[in-house]
Amino acid sequence: MKRLLCLPTILAATILLSTFFIGGCKRHASNNSKKKVAVIVSTLNNPWFVVLAQTAASQAQSLGYETKIFDSQNNTALEADNFENAIASGFNAILFNPTDADGSIVNALKAKAADIPVFCMDREINSTDAATSQILSDNYSGCVALGKYFVEQMKKKGNYVEILGLVGDNNTWNRSKGFHSVVDFYPDLKIVAQQSADFDRNKAMEVMESLLQAHPGINAIFCGNDAMASGAYQALVAAGNSNQVKVFGFDGAEDVINSIKDKKIVATGMQFPKEMARTAANYADQYIKGKRDFPKKMPVAVELVTQENVDDYIGYGKKDNAQK
Amino acid sequence: MKVAKNIVLIAVIIFIGYHSVYFKKLDSIKAAKAATLFHASQYAQAFWNDKLIPHLEKAIDIMYLTNQLSTDTAKTFDTYSHALGIGNLRYFLVKGKGIVTSINENDASVLPDSSRQSIKIATEYIFGNAVRDATGLININEFNNTMDFNNVSAEINKIIRETILPSFKSTVRKENKVEFVGAIELNKEHLDLSRIEVIPVQIKIMPY
Repeated sequence: MKRLLCLPTILAATILLSTFFIGGCKRHASNNSKKKVAVIVSTLNNPWFVVLAQTAASQAQSLGYETKIFDSQNNTALEADNFENAIASGFNAILFNPTDADGSIVNALKAKAADIPVFCMDREINSTDAATSQILSDNYSGCVALGKYFVEQMKKKGNYVEILGLVGDNNTWNRSKGFHSVVDFYPDLKIVAQQSADFDRNKAMEVMESLLQAHPGINAIFCGNDAMASGAYQALVAAGNSNQVKVFGFDGAEDVINSIKDKKIVATGMQFPKEMARTAANYADQYIKGKRDFPKKMPVAVELVTQENVDDYIGYGKKDNAQK
Repeated sequence: MKVAKNIVLIAVIIFIGYHSVYFKKLDSIKAAKAATLFHASQYAQAFWNDKLIPHLEKAIDIMYLTNQLSTDTAKTFDTYSHALGIGNLRYFLVKGKGIVTSINENDASVLPDSSRQSIKIATEYIFGNAVRDATGLININEFNNTMDFNNVSAEINKIIRETILPSFKSTVRKENKVEFVGAIELNKEHLDLSRIEVIPVQIKIMPY
């Protein structure tokens, strides 16, 4: 009888304990259920990519996600490690700025195999099914506009040099092709040298120093990014002919916007890293909430910044009304 | 017995060897590869004939558009502009009539009827995405890579350069009355209605 009386007490205690335990587990699960978005960026050594990564992370945070930024240091092997970490850590989406158009495909495919969507930002990978969507600057069209302005400024004739970015990067060639799709219509505009400086300011300065010795009579330099435009301009200053040679860049970096205001550099193509980063984060959010229909490639318009309209722009973007 | 074994062995080697190597004509490989490639010029010509020309009747009058943009910019962009990508650059399909006020190296200035603000009809720099994007009839998901839709723009612009402009450039004179349909690019955030440049799709000189 005593044993029978004890049984309901034991049962009640068990149910109470179970409820408490399950409730505790649920609370623990809800703490861990905050979804996570990884931002894997090619390099944090360049301020342009810092803006890209930080904007992507802060936009994802504003949408309610936990975020972590992984720096691949322009190294595909390190990028592979970052992907493995992101996959193993249970991230729900990856906002990705690749290091290499071909070499990064395998990393995106690994994430895809783990059912993690990948949204490329700014840099392209040469695959149409590895990433869920690629949000890219319309480099080609931006350089078409820049090429047209170049022809106008040069009055359709003169000798020029082209400084290319990384030869393995699609952006390098999309920019070059866009520029030449206009400039090559004008046979009196002659390219006297085309050389790579890897998107690097110091390399561009060195390249330009030697090119100026070989081709002292050049009239213009077209550079595949603003860092190289700054380096090329420094070489011109050192050679004492910065007033005779027109320099054109691409990116919309802060120092080049200031150089355009100071009439040192003629023009650049303004990319919008913040726009790309926010779009990628919004796409990731939509994917996590169930959307599956995304454009494989989404171009983001590039705007021509010249000495006439530079006051409308700041580094990496457009002034808002409060800044005007 | 040994002879039979060798015969079987040789037969197996021949069988495996025969089925391991295939010969195909290089021409057929090239043809198969070419069939999967995107042909921007064919796409552009089909777009021009089947979509763009029938759609020209929906072009908005340039004077009406500029008035609307001056009064309600955001709504006018939402209603009438298109673009394949995202950003501030948007494109409109426009039409108009006016008097040629000057013929310049790169364009013809035209004063539209009942307007004080001239516009330019481009005759030299036929570049960019204005005509490709202005109708809103091209879907970006039709393209697998960015160079394909860049090449479509280049091919459309080539059609204009080769078939629309030569007769106009050779016959147009100051004071001519012209009628045009074409595409314009405007920046949504940095709107400048004083520098409108029309890439012409149709342009004709009206009789006096």
